[in-house]
Amino acid sequence: MRKALVVLLVVVFAFAGCQAEGGKPTALPTQAPGQAITLEFWYSLGGSSGKVVEALVAEFNQTHDSIKVNATYQGGYAEIMAKVWSAVYAKETLPHVAHLGAAPLLGETGAIVPITDFTDGPNGIDRSLIRDAFWAYNSAQGKVWSMPFNNSVPLLYYNRDLFLRAGLDPDSPPKTWKEVIEYGKALTQDTDGNGEIDQWGFNTHSDTHWYLSAMFLENGAQIISADETRVLYNSPQAVAMLELWGKLVTEHRIMPPAQHNEAKSDFLAGKLGMFLASSANLPSFEEEASFQLGAAPLPSLAGQDPVESIGGGSLVIFQNEDPAMLDAAWEFVKWMTSPQSSLYLSTRTGYVPIYKDALAWPELASYLEENPLRRVPIEALEYSYAIPIFVSLGTSDGQLRKAVESVELGAATAQEALDIAKAVVDADIAERLQEQE
Amino acid sequence: MSGLVGSRLAMRAKLWRHPRQMVFAALWYVFLGGAAVAVIMPYLWMLSTSLKGTAELFTYPPTWIPRVWRFRNYLDAWNAAPFALYFFNSLFVALVVTLGQLVTCSLAAYAFARMEFKGKNVAFALYLSTTMISEQATLIPSYLLLKELNWLDTYMALTVPFLANAFGIFMLRQAFMTIPRELEDAATMDGCGRLRFLGQVILPLTKPVLASQALFAFMNNWNSYLWPLIVTTSKHLRTIQVGLRYFVGQEGGTQWGIFMAATVFVSLPVVLVYFLVQKSFVEGIAMTGVRG
Repeated sequence: MRKALVVLLVVVFAFAGCQAEGGKPTALPTQAPGQAITLEFWYSLGGSSGKVVEALVAEFNQTHDSIKVNATYQGGYAEIMAKVWSAVYAKETLPHVAHLGAAPLLGETGAIVPITDFTDGPNGIDRSLIRDAFWAYNSAQGKVWSMPFNNSVPLLYYNRDLFLRAGLDPDSPPKTWKEVIEYGKALTQDTDGNGEIDQWGFNTHSDTHWYLSAMFLENGAQIISADETRVLYNSPQAVAMLELWGKLVTEHRIMPPAQHNEAKSDFLAGKLGMFLASSANLPSFEEEASFQLGAAPLPSLAGQDPVESIGGGSLVIFQNEDPAMLDAAWEFVKWMTSPQSSLYLSTRTGYVPIYKDALAWPELASYLEENPLRRVPIEALEYSYAIPIFVSLGTSDGQLRKAVESVELGAATAQEALDIAKAVVDADIAERLQEQE
Repeated sequence: MSGLVGSRLAMRAKLWRHPRQMVFAALWYVFLGGAAVAVIMPYLWMLSTSLKGTAELFTYPPTWIPRVWRFRNYLDAWNAAPFALYFFNSLFVALVVTLGQLVTCSLAAYAFARMEFKGKNVAFALYLSTTMISEQATLIPSYLLLKELNWLDTYMALTVPFLANAFGIFMLRQAFMTIPRELEDAATMDGCGRLRFLGQVILPLTKPVLASQALFAFMNNWNSYLWPLIVTTSKHLRTIQVGLRYFVGQEGGTQWGIFMAATVFVSLPVVLVYFLVQKSFVEGIAMTGVRG
């Protein structure tokens, strides 16, 4: 398996090396004047969120006579990226607009137009209305490449029924990591008395890198050096946070070691007290949980602000020789990310509105009256922050997950695990930068 | 069929003769029973989940029999995407590929098994070595090739690259080599050509192996996901697995009941094809097991 992966990477990069120089990918054929413009749009949200995207596209098509958007689902974030990269390297037909995760990484290929070419143009928008963290999330190499669309933050979900049974107040969930440990100890129980713990206090979803890097930032650690050539994962502040994480397993015993893949079903089955996961899960949890659900912002360190590290997907516009096509593409992207669309998306999914003044919108306010839990991720945006997007982000995520696992299993100390992670990511950055030259 | 059942009965009668063999047989059946349960379990769980509402999905302890039966999941699943079209595409592609592989593999296997030509062994080794390269490694080169041919986003991209299969050639060659050469000599004396001999003597004699190859080809194509996703873009060319993926949310939002209902009807054709060729398939495995 490992070997196959290495072979794959070698081949991919071999092609990356020989294809990337050859100029820009071919554009779709241009449109004859007078006809309605047809835009190809690839998106990567399935399930119930996918339905919401389709509904938005349908409404756009209904309200715009001169533009027709043809939306096609192209798999999840990983698959659509594979598809877009293959097309970029083969200089094959790309869509006009696509919805992707980690979109700014496409910037260096020359395949997409920086979104600021449109936002700051004649048909532009006031960028200051959207939270800064979302712009940062869509930036790389000093340019804003993509438009924030569906974004989420980590939430601490909790089981109110289990809180009550453990004598905890479900209306005051833990705010700090210290409180998480206290609450966790009360929630971790051997309910059937067979000597084995069958109800755990705390666990996280499998994307542990997301929560760990948020914790790094909470403790004042930097993610990457200013020149973006070295990650700073083995700083004392970072190491201290992974140590804290490890202690949840080894010392405080409120989290089972390396069981993040099962955590979601454990939580929904009522066998886990607190669960750290994306706010995108909120609507489905409300539906699937057979207990009273609670949600709180990401815990912080005592006396510090939390850092709500944002995640999610963005919209990109691909290069096109025909300015009319580009204008139409922007018209569509602008519409999809407008306050109305943002309201529509955030009241039907667990994604958050991207606008600063969202909480003042009357429609949202009345919606939150009826769905008070949805308020939690939106209010958490006060502390939103974007992890820097750099070339080796994918490698880095994998290495952080590995470090978490080895610490949870006691195979390495936090310092050792992060030393390794840093070394691997740094080497990967160096290699990629060399290829780009 | 009768021959197979007969031989099994004979085998069982033999097994019961000695107490030691009885114990051995009992253990064997316990093991087989366990293996059968392990294999059927996920399928039953899929069926069970496909009939549940969201509220019952994650209850603990889990329920095997839904408290509320939701047959609507099947209707919802069928209507969630153009599944009739996806079925047509997948069936068309899988059948074309299966037929194509049977033709190309048997012709090539015949050449490797029976004809003498320069570089035969090198060519055969080259064929075999292609089975050792993972699909992921050939993905981008194949994509570039299809682009040059202007085949991206066509049925050609879904079928042509799979019309030959090195493993199939290998398997059929091994089977063809067991046909006695005298048979061919006799046929040749009677004026039978190579093609006719292949079609009228070899193929009927190796039916079980052909059936196995057909099943593998059908199943692999029916299940393939990444390749069709990468090489097609238009909705009307989408295959069944791509349709299934759509039920899976990016971060939450997967409607498991409906998703599993769709999985049930998507997996049906493979099960049906298995039953269709089961007899030959079992014989094929028995044949390979007995030899040597």
